[in-house]
Amino acid sequence: MTAFLQAIMDGLTLGSLYALIAVGYTVVYGIVQLINFAHGEVFMIGAFGALATWTVLFKGQTGLWVLPIMILGAVIVSVLTAVIMERIAYRPLRGAPRLAPLITAIGISVFLQEAVRLFYPGAKSKLTFPEIDVVTGSAIQVGGVTVQRAALFTIGALALSAALLWFFVNRTRLGQGMQAVSQDPDTAQLMGINVNRIIVIAFALGAALAAVAGVAQGLLNSNIDFRMGFLAGLKAFTAAVLGGIGNIQGAVVGGLTLGIAESMATQFIPGQFGGSAWKDVWAFALLILVLVFRPQGLLGARVVDRA
Amino acid sequence: MSTHDDLTPTNDLPGVDAPAPVRETDRPAYDDDHERTPLLERFPGRGSAAAWPLGLLGVALLVGGTFLSWSYTSNVLGDLSVDFYPNGVQICMIILGLVALVMLLAHQGPLHRLGDWLDTAAAVRILGLGALAYMVITLGIIAVRSGGLINVNPGGWVSTVGALLIALSGLMLVSHQSKDPLFAQTSSWVEIITIVVLLAAVLFGATYALGTSTGGAFSLFLVFAFALAWGLAKAGFFTWVGLIAQKNRQVLMLGAFAVAFLFPFTQGGSDENMSIATQVLIFAATALGLNIVVGLAGLLDLGYIAFLGAGAYVGATMSNSAFATIGWKPPFLVVVLIGACFSAVLGLIIGSPTLRVSGDYLAIVTLAFGEIFRFTMGNLDGTNGPDLTNGPNGIPAIPELNFFGFDFGQPHEILGITIGRFANYYFLLLVIAAIIILVFTRLNNSRIGRGWVAIREDEKAAEAMGVNVFGLKLFAFAGGAFLAGMAGTVKAHHDVSVSPDQYIFLESAFLLAAVVLGGMGTVAGVLIGATILKLLPEKLRFINDYRLMIFGLVLVLMMRFRPEGLVASQRRKLEFHEDDEDLAERIEEVHLEEEEAKA
Repeated sequence: MTAFLQAIMDGLTLGSLYALIAVGYTVVYGIVQLINFAHGEVFMIGAFGALATWTVLFKGQTGLWVLPIMILGAVIVSVLTAVIMERIAYRPLRGAPRLAPLITAIGISVFLQEAVRLFYPGAKSKLTFPEIDVVTGSAIQVGGVTVQRAALFTIGALALSAALLWFFVNRTRLGQGMQAVSQDPDTAQLMGINVNRIIVIAFALGAALAAVAGVAQGLLNSNIDFRMGFLAGLKAFTAAVLGGIGNIQGAVVGGLTLGIAESMATQFIPGQFGGSAWKDVWAFALLILVLVFRPQGLLGARVVDRA
Repeated sequence: MSTHDDLTPTNDLPGVDAPAPVRETDRPAYDDDHERTPLLERFPGRGSAAAWPLGLLGVALLVGGTFLSWSYTSNVLGDLSVDFYPNGVQICMIILGLVALVMLLAHQGPLHRLGDWLDTAAAVRILGLGALAYMVITLGIIAVRSGGLINVNPGGWVSTVGALLIALSGLMLVSHQSKDPLFAQTSSWVEIITIVVLLAAVLFGATYALGTSTGGAFSLFLVFAFALAWGLAKAGFFTWVGLIAQKNRQVLMLGAFAVAFLFPFTQGGSDENMSIATQVLIFAATALGLNIVVGLAGLLDLGYIAFLGAGAYVGATMSNSAFATIGWKPPFLVVVLIGACFSAVLGLIIGSPTLRVSGDYLAIVTLAFGEIFRFTMGNLDGTNGPDLTNGPNGIPAIPELNFFGFDFGQPHEILGITIGRFANYYFLLLVIAAIIILVFTRLNNSRIGRGWVAIREDEKAAEAMGVNVFGLKLFAFAGGAFLAGMAGTVKAHHDVSVSPDQYIFLESAFLLAAVVLGGMGTVAGVLIGATILKLLPEKLRFINDYRLMIFGLVLVLMMRFRPEGLVASQRRKLEFHEDDEDLAERIEEVHLEEEEAKA
């Protein structure tokens, strides 16, 4: 039983991380039907932004008060990256065959990874992420289950972000504009909604959440490297598909489901095919299974089967 | 898309026409074509009678300068310090000058009639600007290597001024092109000679490029080749070449194969260049296989390298390597078949569920599959799973191929020319590439190929017309995997070892880039793309660290400015420039011409 609860706990942590990134995929897809394949790199850049903020402003500090500023730094860097990317690379391709933006995304992804590797000092190897009081440090024991402090931070960040996101989408004018655009861009434009602005906001929103995930990843793993965006991005995309792409609640549900499924597979698949060596294989196998049996995802996708 | 569509509610037809209106409102802001032409027309002295003699003077100076010494010191870019003895760097300029001369004479003078067919002004302009860039870079290299511009001898300056004059003349000339090169009637022997000359030029160019010893000389050659190709393309020369290539298909194919076959004999047994050439060939063969999947059927496969890997692993585990895990050691030809079939079966397994959900999902699933393959190969090491692949260490020490006593590892003498290890593999890979090209072209011209094009352009319409969409997609996918598996078995022996880290996602991205860069759905384009992507990093060592970053940037820029690739199939071009009515009309004409040419 303890092992089961532990697996749930680990899965929730991992799943929160996936969910935070997956929202970015799903929001953008819901509005422009584009898989922003470079979103994983935005997450990675968020982590580096947080590290840079800490290194420049607070080197040596460990107080909890630096964390909000680190997150702010991360969000600024990520949002800037995403907005520039949308403006320079994706916007001119709107209406082009679907292959074009996808290949562009691969290009951006490689470019961003390499840019960080070459121009962030010391980024050619792993970089240590700072320890922050309260959110890192000795684990907490709850009835036999080990809970990392950073895990609590991650789950908390997801809960808070999800609440804010819900409020934004359903209760603000911009959020409602976003819903309108995702339902029908033409009519939305006729109603006076600035579609370009909504698209930029969608990119920015996803980037902000990815930045938070980047900080969480840094705290969880206590180190970051320029390659971390690729696999995380792919997993988060899996989560978005699992929940139903284009559906924001779906991204959260999908992320948590994927996280738990992954940690369950690690814990409970017996014999040689269990263990952490195979967990990524099971995650991707799950993606393929979902696409076969329920392509619209768990909660239903906004848009399925586009040519 | 008509304006009528915009008025109908679109949520019943998810995505079929949703993005288009947004684009139309955006368009003027990004379309800078309107501003480009007037700028040229406002150039001072445009259309003046002085332009033509100025160009001739420029050619005389450019070519004359190459016969003089360019550099005081003799250790820069080969030896540029000798008078009346132009070396390779200078000969490039002579060639460029002579082509510019032909263009000028076609503009006005003895070849006047040729100028009706070609846009001579644009050609002279590009050639002149290219020559100028070339000269500036050369002078820069001389200055840096030997300490200051003081070491540039008069010849260098004379040629630079010549290049400048050609460029100015090109900017001032106004073309009198009045006919489309598409409708040029030429006798067949002219066409065949053109093809032969072009192929020979490719062979010489490749030999020269591989023979350059420094990154500087190689970069200069690139500038030269680019300027020449671009200039001729601007003139409309390649439109005609495309047509005659279509008309004389067999000649071109045979000729190209002969050039490729002769290539090792020009290398004098140099293993270094042949090693690059075999790598290019493996890469090109795989990219051609991917071209069937992506270019013809329009299925974006981001895990294609896994199929190559599957073939390579089959080749390795069934080889005579001491680390091979399978006891059965069939002859190599059997292994090739098994490897190819194994890959194809993997393709079927992965394709049959995912080809039903179309588009982006397929891309991601194939990507996931590529990762599953890599993880699995890394895990099957005896502790995390059955011992099949030796895990991350892979299978080393795969023995050389041996066909009926012909050992691929040993050098052989043919007609007094040594054919080394890599040249042996080169010939084998050439055969495989030829098979893949044959499969590609035959499929492209068949009922299947037309079905693929229909699916690529509009899946729903194709299905409505009775095309077996799912079956054809699956066939493309599995067929592509089959070809990759075939190439993989040879790759295992060529590389001597296989390990999971050879089959990372980046390799798939590279393959895709070769297809996209060269031109989806064309053979020539993919060959060029593959050559560029493999050759450049090998020769330009000094950019090595920035290689991937540049690669990413090139992908983005390419999609932005020339999404149809360097060598665009006309139909492809139309797909990316849907609202260009002139282009559509023109393509119709090209198509009719080609049909006539074939008949």
